[in-house]
Amino acid sequence: MDTLAKLQILSGAARYDASCASSGSKREAPSSGTGNTSQSGICHSWSDDGRCISLLKILLSNDCRYDCAYCVNRSTNAVERASFTAREVVDLTLDFYRRNYIEGLFLSSAVMQSPDVTMERMVRVVESLRTEEHFGGYIHLKIIPGCSSELVRKAGLYADRISVNIELPSQVSLQRLAPQKHKDSILEPMALIGREIHSSLVERKADRRAPRFAPAGQSTQMIIGASPENDFQILRLSQGLYKKMNLKRVYYSAYVPVSADNRLPVLAAPPLLREHRLYQADWLLRFYGFSAEEILSDDLPNLDETFDPKTAWALRHPEFFPVEINRADYLTLLRVPGIGVTSAKRIIAARRFSAITPEGMKKIGVVMKRAKYFITSSGRGFERADRTPALIRQQLLLGDGIVAPPPRQLVFPGLYA
Amino acid sequence: MRAMNRYLYDGTADGLLSAIAWILEEEPDPLLVALSEREDTLFEDGFFIGTDATQAESLFFRLRKQAPDAAHTIYSFMLAEKEGMETSLLHYISLVFKHGDKVNGYLTHSAVLDIVSIAKKAGRELHRMKGLLRFEKLRDGAYLAKMEPDHNIIHPLAYHFRTRLRAQHWFLYDVKRRTAARWSNGSLQFGTIEQFTTPALSDDEKKVQAMWQTFFKTIAIPDRKNARLQKSNMPMKYWKYLTEKQGE
Ligand code: SF4
Repeated sequence: MDTLAKLQILSGAARYDASCASSGSKREAPSSGTGNTSQSGICHSWSDDGRCISLLKILLSNDCRYDCAYCVNRSTNAVERASFTAREVVDLTLDFYRRNYIEGLFLSSAVMQSPDVTMERMVRVVESLRTEEHFGGYIHLKIIPGCSSELVRKAGLYADRISVNIELPSQVSLQRLAPQKHKDSILEPMALIGREIHSSLVERKADRRAPRFAPAGQSTQMIIGASPENDFQILRLSQGLYKKMNLKRVYYSAYVPVSADNRLPVLAAPPLLREHRLYQADWLLRFYGFSAEEILSDDLPNLDETFDPKTAWALRHPEFFPVEINRADYLTLLRVPGIGVTSAKRIIAARRFSAITPEGMKKIGVVMKRAKYFITSSGRGFERADRTPALIRQQLLLGDGIVAPPPRQLVFPGLYA
Repeated sequence: MRAMNRYLYDGTADGLLSAIAWILEEEPDPLLVALSEREDTLFEDGFFIGTDATQAESLFFRLRKQAPDAAHTIYSFMLAEKEGMETSLLHYISLVFKHGDKVNGYLTHSAVLDIVSIAKKAGRELHRMKGLLRFEKLRDGAYLAKMEPDHNIIHPLAYHFRTRLRAQHWFLYDVKRRTAARWSNGSLQFGTIEQFTTPALSDDEKKVQAMWQTFFKTIAIPDRKNARLQKSNMPMKYWKYLTEKQGE
């Protein structure tokens, strides 16, 4: 099989992986080689589904020994199989990078003979890119659960980001749908990576020349809608991963039906809106100072379909509003629906010079569609003050065509995080 | 309100900065002063300030020292080559010397808003082109990238690729402005090109391009086609030189 045919199979098999981030790493170009990374990440194209293309995202092989029910590559599925040689991946990466098609490589793989054999081959690819070709571009490497910790360590020395997929939100679901994977084989490397990242940071503080370990951190991904967990369970899991495991990102991937296995739910369509809401809630966890318990509870275990999670929270907490834009601190401003990180920072920067009026809000570019129900400027409201949450809710829904219809397709809000 | 004092300059970037330096020096309240390009009509009203390159340079040097963020904003603003914004720039710079880098947050002031938003747009296109530029390999082994950006970004773009693709010879060519950058043997040069002829491609170039086109097609999730989102992220005006969008 020629490289083009393999590329077709092995990029097609990688497309459901949500992560294409290329940010968070600052790697200087090696003096004799090619490539560096950019702190903020760069998109090189946008594919026909509107997603950012930043990395050459491929599997090393789709020839899998495992039989995870939700996966196209499972051993019992009749798909065409292919495996790249290390040389092919190295050449593709360099050929694409030199033409500025990509920021770097995102390499994952199905489980070939064994986790160790697979991981070793993947590490060989990036080792050759870094040490023989002096490649300085971005590399994201997936860890194959069950491989040796020696290989995990090696991976972290060559890659900018490494990730272990958590796959499903609970151990029960994992056992049911991915019986060859064990919770421990996923959590152990995660913890190991966390420790290595930490100690490399400590060592580099003492000595700038100490080796970096996965400088762009670790991320993970879970499939949404293939198993029965509710959004509250999922958000609490993510919160734990951010807090205890120090993860940079959790990616959510709406389950796309790929088989008629009777262990799987029958879905008319992938749960894209749910995925979108989870990304919004995840954003609130990471940048807005919310906790999972504020967003959801046992009585309210799933995210609202009509309103984004922040608006839904605001409607449940009328006592928090209105917020006075000329006095409120940053975290309070961030709780106002329609005011994001950029707007909150702009408000704080602008009010140093003079109090901000409603016209001023427009000038500095704050979108008032939703915010106007929840704020005052120097004591004056933007909307009549006697509105009850019920009225606001109605206004937001019907009002002047206020709430945009939920996106039919997903958007990745965290591209530059 | 008092009538504004009006000043004129010769239309060059150096002329603009040296006129601003002069006004900041001589005028008690620069915020009451207007500045525009001389158009050589008979009845032009205003006092002409001659160009002094050392004045211009020293102004920019002071800006960089006192307010590096604002100096960067001014640099990006200049890339936009926007006409008729001289008075806004003058007022902005005068505010920079009063407030320092904090001034970029003063978006309720219209001069600050003008300059910062134009600079942002230029910066956004620069960032976009760092991703969307496409090199083709030529028969002699060098790489060529053509582009038609709205802003005059060839300099900062070339600096970006000087570090990133330092191991290969390359050219950038701004088709609209006929300007070019050339990186070879460790040195970067800029110039203009009067007559451009497309050189022959290397033998394997079409093969690599076909691989990229294949990757581009297969990486999209078929059930999630979204042409609108694609176009809003990657406006069609950039497609002309995109390898993956040839033949569309
Ligand atoms: S191990 Fe990975 S590639 Fe193999 S079936 Fe499971 S999810 Fe698919």
